[in-house]
Amino acid sequence: MINVLFFGPVAERAGTRQIALDFREGLRWQDVRDTLRVRHPEAFEIVAIVAVNGQRVGEQDAAPLADGAEIVFMSAFSGG
Amino acid sequence: MSAAVRLQLEDFSLDAEVAALREHSKRIGGIATFLGCARDFSEGRDVHEIAFEAHHGMALAELLRLRDEAIARFDLIDARIVHRLGTVRAGDNIVLIVAGAEHRAPAFAACRWLIDELKARTPIWKKEITPQGESWVTPHP
Repeated sequence: MINVLFFGPVAERAGTRQIALDFREGLRWQDVRDTLRVRHPEAFEIVAIVAVNGQRVGEQDAAPLADGAEIVFMSAFSGG
Repeated sequence: MSAAVRLQLEDFSLDAEVAALREHSKRIGGIATFLGCARDFSEGRDVHEIAFEAHHGMALAELLRLRDEAIARFDLIDARIVHRLGTVRAGDNIVLIVAGAEHRAPAFAACRWLIDELKARTPIWKKEITPQGESWVTPHP
């Protein structure tokens, strides 16, 4: 499984904090984004930061995900 | 002694955190603090409460990295960072940064750098709760 987490304003727009997706070989975080963006377009409008297994990633990071990976789609931070 | 970097629901004591820093070393000659508080007015509206949420694991890891970076970058003797989560009321404490160095200049500089970096790098989000409703805060420079 791939565990997808949302927080704060992204979670509110998505209407959920967590989604579990089936794992398949070769899956990249961009594939997960493209799938979920169709389901939750309003949430993905404000996604600015992505992390895989606790590490921030960018478009250039295209390594296949491992089974059990955690992906977090986040809006800009506003703590402090 | 409590950990030097914490995310917590409960309030914190500025005096206790400064005392903890001072216990670390008698070589400290300057301590700078930044205390972030919940304002009761924002964007033209009264604000009653602010709700914070975080990716706890990532946020704590980032705060630990920030402390390590600040100690190395500004040659600090020690630093402490405490950020509250959950709901705070107007006037309550939100975040505390304490930086201790041999002299005042690096302590002040580290304090400023730490709060700026914390805001930019730490996965924490806040929502203002007003009489007109609730809204997530857009980051300020």
